[in-house]
Amino acid sequence: MVASLYSVDQETKSIWVYLEVDEGQLAGVSLELIAKGRQVCDELGWNLAGLLLGSQVTRLANAAIAHGVDQVYLGDDPLLEHFTIEAYSIAAYQAIMSAKPSVFWLGATPDGRDLAGRLAVRLRTGLNADCTDLDLNPENGRLVCEVSGFGGGILALIEMENHRPQMATVRPGVFSIEQADENRTGTLIPINLELSAEQIDTRLIERSTGDQVDLTGVDVLVAGGRGVDGDFGMLAELAQLLGGEIGATRPPVDEGHIERERQIGQTGVVTSPKVAICCGISGAFHFVVGIEKADLVVAINSDPRAPIFDHADYCIVGDVHQVIPALINILSAEQEVSLA
Amino acid sequence: MPELHSVVCVKVVPKPEEIRVDPETKLLVRGNTRSEINPPDMNAMEMALSLKDRYGGQISLLSMGPSFFESNLRVALAMGADHIYLLSDPAFAGADTLATTYTLAQGIRKIGDVDLVLCGEESSDGATGQVPPGLAEWLEVSQLTLLTEVNLDLEQKTARGRREIRGGYEILEVHLPSVVSVKTACNEPRFMDFQLRSWSLEEERVTIWGVQDLEVDPGLIGLPGSPTIVSGLAEAPFRERKREFLQGNPQDIAEQLVPLILKVI
Amino acid sequence: MAEMRQRTREDVMLIDDELWEALVERTDGAAALCFQCGVCTATCPWGLVKHKPLNVRNMMHQAQLGLKGEAGGLWLCTTCAQCEALCPRGVDIPQVIRGLRSLAWERRETQPGLPSLLWSIFWNNNPWDQPPSQRAAWAKNVAIPDFDPQVHDVLLYIGCTSSYDQRAQRIAVALTKVLTSAGVEFGFLGDEEPCCGEAALSVGHLDYFKEVAAQTADLFNQRGVTNVVTISPHCYDVFQNHYPEIGQGFKAQHYTQFIASLLEEGRLELHQSLDHPVTFQDPCYLGRINGEYAAPRQILRSIPGVQLLEMELSAQDSLCCGGGGGRMWLETPAGERFSDLRIQQASETGADLLATACPFCVTCLEDSIKSQTSNHLQVLDIAELLASVI
Repeated sequence: MVASLYSVDQETKSIWVYLEVDEGQLAGVSLELIAKGRQVCDELGWNLAGLLLGSQVTRLANAAIAHGVDQVYLGDDPLLEHFTIEAYSIAAYQAIMSAKPSVFWLGATPDGRDLAGRLAVRLRTGLNADCTDLDLNPENGRLVCEVSGFGGGILALIEMENHRPQMATVRPGVFSIEQADENRTGTLIPINLELSAEQIDTRLIERSTGDQVDLTGVDVLVAGGRGVDGDFGMLAELAQLLGGEIGATRPPVDEGHIERERQIGQTGVVTSPKVAICCGISGAFHFVVGIEKADLVVAINSDPRAPIFDHADYCIVGDVHQVIPALINILSAEQEVSLA
Repeated sequence: MPELHSVVCVKVVPKPEEIRVDPETKLLVRGNTRSEINPPDMNAMEMALSLKDRYGGQISLLSMGPSFFESNLRVALAMGADHIYLLSDPAFAGADTLATTYTLAQGIRKIGDVDLVLCGEESSDGATGQVPPGLAEWLEVSQLTLLTEVNLDLEQKTARGRREIRGGYEILEVHLPSVVSVKTACNEPRFMDFQLRSWSLEEERVTIWGVQDLEVDPGLIGLPGSPTIVSGLAEAPFRERKREFLQGNPQDIAEQLVPLILKVI
Repeated sequence: MAEMRQRTREDVMLIDDELWEALVERTDGAAALCFQCGVCTATCPWGLVKHKPLNVRNMMHQAQLGLKGEAGGLWLCTTCAQCEALCPRGVDIPQVIRGLRSLAWERRETQPGLPSLLWSIFWNNNPWDQPPSQRAAWAKNVAIPDFDPQVHDVLLYIGCTSSYDQRAQRIAVALTKVLTSAGVEFGFLGDEEPCCGEAALSVGHLDYFKEVAAQTADLFNQRGVTNVVTISPHCYDVFQNHYPEIGQGFKAQHYTQFIASLLEEGRLELHQSLDHPVTFQDPCYLGRINGEYAAPRQILRSIPGVQLLEMELSAQDSLCCGGGGGRMWLETPAGERFSDLRIQQASETGADLLATACPFCVTCLEDSIKSQTSNHLQVLDIAELLASVI
């Protein structure tokens, strides 16, 4: 039987959250995990800690404490300025081995997944990926992870009996962020870092962030198909009023009305917004795949038999060039009222 | 010019929409489900073939699973892979990602002389995405994940990968040997080469290794090597859309729709 | 007299003997008859929608000489056979096009999306990337028995498009109703129905088509299938014309042929009338390529109340909808769609119903009507028209 590097008997009853740094701020998903961790720790009387790695990031440690962690294990070193898998795995490993937490959560971001996957093997422990819910059993201190598999068709509950830390990654948007409380206090615990440049192989040659749109994280998607006749300006206005982004099916992209990065579907982007508003889209399977995870789907199409209506919660048989402006009018009026 | 030897890790998976859970035993019913090569692994395969087109060398395919995987894996030979290694033994069964990555790593060590390991981003069944970093850790090599492009320098023994994340991109460089994962749908897998088709079905280019063929610690493979336990299994409730048709003129509709949308945001 | 320019070495085109031989083999020497008159280029419908017509003559020349083809144009061809119909020598131009395409596959010089099309057939048994287990979902609430050779005279072959495409599924439902009301003993193969492989043939992968066809013929043999009635003329075409090359032993008909004979035998009664002016789109794969112009018209004329108005370009002169030759899986930019022209031609007859007998025609024509909001033409497959009057 494979054994983790420390056992249940040696664990500290605490939940650790990996505090990912994104463009100089704490990543949203880390704040979401802090909120969930705080709730669970309050119920169980456990301790909540954050693991923060970087260079010149002490102010972020304070932000984490304001959001609810009791301690921040801090690795602050020039070698940690940019994420590299080698440096971050070493630092995280050293921190975890020094405190032996029972539970360790990370956001399922590209770097978070890399770090979690590597650490789990180094620690000889289990890792549950992309969890849709997390629960701690107060009787045995076991983390119960809800995960989906087979394209979302199967739900499983997974736990670990003997292995620690109990690791899990969670996608952004699963939990909600709680308000920060500047009056909260906590402690900063520096990690005893033993790290040298020779241990880092990965070299960053070039980086460019934020130029293109990333539709995978949008809350509101306003998507247009052939039926909008290229009028994406109208859709963009609606999207802006709702705090969202525009997307499209293949034909408008092919015809040059909108950039390819905004193509939704099997060969484009798969989104999971709170609301997807499908305008003038017939609803072919390869498009539907791109919005089927939405919480709410609204479809507007002039053809009452358009297949999209089978995949929508609210169906409108009508002319998008009349319905969308009507929506825009009402929403702009409401905005004006709230701003007044 | 040194030769490039790539290993592509491939999983054969059941078609996800065909999987059921037996309501009594709470176990997955795989029964007569159709199988396919995990679609993201096809992208990894295409990446490896494109590197072979540019740099030459050999491609070995590595997989872990029951012997029926073989017929599906031969598709890769028809695409241009040179050899298939299938790790197949009851002792390997029941493995979670810790045991799987360990076993695959031992397979890669046995194949030997490997410059680059390519994996799909994740599998369509488990979708953990943990195999690439886990594999890199067991092999004690570097890793680059979610790559859409790879460029190699075989003299310097380095690999540069383009990773598209957060609406932008990164270009990272590591030394070989290394493990890379390929972004799903970043390329279009080439169809089988029919001049290789009949050869791929008949030739003895498949090697099957059992537990006695690999150097493995029995405590680290299969069930014994798997820390995670499935304590509950169910079919996800089918997301049935409301399909409610709103009536009225555009103004009426907009008035009904706005609160419904704002409620959810 | 114009000065003759000194020819340099680069001007000389080198003929590749191997390529020439390969082309002759794959096309059965079809290009040999061509004497380069250029009628094909003149008749090709691409000349109606593009500034520069498709240079079909040039492609025949390349095939004759064994030269590498002009890649972009090669994939525009819908194999409508308008060129072949008017070719003074009757050259099987679509066959030459497929031969050139098959060589492009060997060189991996096809179009984006086409390798995925073939993978879809390979992994999912259909070109639409739909789950194989869902092939019979359209029939959930339809009374259609599983094929039993002891009981059934005919296998109704639904085809991939009518199985999975929501619009085309309505054709399958309508046809089932019509056959049932005529008392025909028929069944279908449910989710075990194999793909006929036409999509693979249409994009020129001759080897893969043969593999799919062999598997399908095998399954038909195992299931005791001797008579097949298809919904799509494309499926009918491969069963009728390309399966015999691999030695299959079943008889194939397009459903319009089968229904025309039912009408002749008095087995189908049409009780209601459909008082509409109707025009008819001859699907290329039923009409021009397989010579069947009469059966669909016979059916339309037997529907009480139908006033059949022919388009100016009908029967042998019919304009292709743009879907054949693999084009259903390739995007055609707005303004270059044959079907846009065709619905204008249909509207000019004064008809309000445009009847056809092919799921691809239905899709392309309806798409064009949607993009021309002033057009109120309704497209219906003949099966749907019949179902409304039985």
